[in-house]
Amino acid sequence: MKSFWPIYKRELFAFFVTPLAWVLIVVFLVVQGMHFFLLVDHFARQPDIGGDETPLSAFFGNTVLLYLVLFVLVPPMTMRSFAEERRSGTIEMLMTAPVSSTAVVLAKYAAVLTTYVAMWLPTALYLVILGRTGELDWHAAASAYLGVLLVGAGYLSLGLCASALTRSQFLAMVWTALVLLVFFILGIGEFVTREGSAMHAVCEHVSVWAHMNDFATGIVDSRRLVFYGTLVVLPLFVATRAVDAWRWG
Amino acid sequence: MISVSHLTRRYGAQVAVDDVSFEVGKGEVVGFLGPNGAGKSTTLRILAGFLGPTSGSVKIAGHDVVEDSFEARRCVGYMPETAPLYPEMRVVEFLRFRAELKRVPRRDRVSWVDEAMGKAGVLDVASKRIAHLSKGYRQRVGLADAIVARPPLVILDEPTAGLDPNQIREARAVVRELGRDHTVVLSTHILGEVEACATRVLLIHHGKLLAEGPTETIRAMRAATAVELVVRGDAGGAEKALQGVPGVAKAAAAGPAGEVTRVVVTFAKKLGDAGRAEATERCVAAVVGAGLGVREVRPAGGSLEDVFASLTRDTGGGDPEGSPAAGRRVDDS
Repeated sequence: MKSFWPIYKRELFAFFVTPLAWVLIVVFLVVQGMHFFLLVDHFARQPDIGGDETPLSAFFGNTVLLYLVLFVLVPPMTMRSFAEERRSGTIEMLMTAPVSSTAVVLAKYAAVLTTYVAMWLPTALYLVILGRTGELDWHAAASAYLGVLLVGAGYLSLGLCASALTRSQFLAMVWTALVLLVFFILGIGEFVTREGSAMHAVCEHVSVWAHMNDFATGIVDSRRLVFYGTLVVLPLFVATRAVDAWRWG
Repeated sequence: MISVSHLTRRYGAQVAVDDVSFEVGKGEVVGFLGPNGAGKSTTLRILAGFLGPTSGSVKIAGHDVVEDSFEARRCVGYMPETAPLYPEMRVVEFLRFRAELKRVPRRDRVSWVDEAMGKAGVLDVASKRIAHLSKGYRQRVGLADAIVARPPLVILDEPTAGLDPNQIREARAVVRELGRDHTVVLSTHILGEVEACATRVLLIHHGKLLAEGPTETIRAMRAATAVELVVRGDAGGAEKALQGVPGVAKAAAAGPAGEVTRVVVTFAKKLGDAGRAEATERCVAAVVGAGLGVREVRPAGGSLEDVFASLTRDTGGGDPEGSPAAGRRVDDS
């Protein structure tokens, strides 16, 4: 695991010296900023709005914007991880150094996750603004950010796995986007399937929408933790096996 | 340093390396020689730990590349073909990253990186981005990467591919220099390359080890076929004079006759190394004796293709005479 640190540093470096990272961050912050502005504006115009709906819960839950943003951001963030190294041949150099496949996968994953967290970090200012001008449920805010972290961690893990399974960045991006789309559509299924049916139970379990609604109102359900834990670990495991498999493929 | 026994590597149904066995001792500079697609790169990738063998065993400094892959990789500095690097990094950043990855102790990192840059000749571009380097410099950065952790074994896949003649000369000088401190294995499809760098040669063709032996053997095989004389004066007279020389089987003008003419002299097959050398001297004397001038004498017909052709013909069960005297023939029976 000693090789984790140098690879992690290099991955972050590689991400932030390319314009891609900055474009993604700018797009993300512009969208989130507009979102925040519209919400605050909306709530400010209706002072007698119902008690359980707050700008916070509306910012993180009950909004399609969060998923749209993840859907647009995650695939380009993870597509390069392995696919680019395999295309350019640098993977040969990387894997002939004394490194373990696990360390390589974890370092690359930690790097994209760090970038993701860095993207969200400026949005903490919104909380400061909300806290200054009104009441803010800090518990709900913390659980909302936990939700954001978990959903992002799961999606990035899927993206990294897709990147390890193909030689082409473009394919990695398309595959990631497709899988995320399937997850989202399954989630919507919660609202169209009959309650009590097996399909409904499945849809409810994977529905990011419902998960984020819970997190945004301060509910941390252990089933969600297990779900996202699995969503992180399983693709990373597959990615590690894929990296090992190149040696024999 | 390297011990390979019955190594086979398949890609699906295609056999890239077929039951190859060889040993490389400490301090040797060994050249892998073969045409493109012969299985050189695959073999080197297996030695470097990037690919796994389908069957057979490979040991680097006593460490099995499958069971003890980690330790085996620590002993190897490997430069892949075309030296792929991270274009967005500066040379010195890249090499420090590589040094850290290869577990060079923190306190030695800066000095070892500087030393590797010095040996590979990239100190003057240390702070440039790799994306802005020329092909020759990239190759050298790859070389610096291979030696940065001071591995006992350095593996270079086609270290001069794509370089211009000046760069090739420099690269060869660096490789020879490396041979003093490291065991070096390099691959090439250019015959002159191994002659310039290596002390021992492994000939590989269609995934099989065809022959191995000291570089002199290959040189002899190359000289064995013929010599070419560049003669000033009457070409017909030269031919006539040369045909009378003992040991000469055939002498014929090659190319148009002018002020100077190229005459290819083929020696009788039964001549040994010494016999050929004497016959060459007699040829020169004969031409000079006929009142003509000798401008150049050079070995002819010694291309890689000729060497392979003679070897594969011999494997077919012909007479063993064109075969290396000191080298070991590898039979695939």
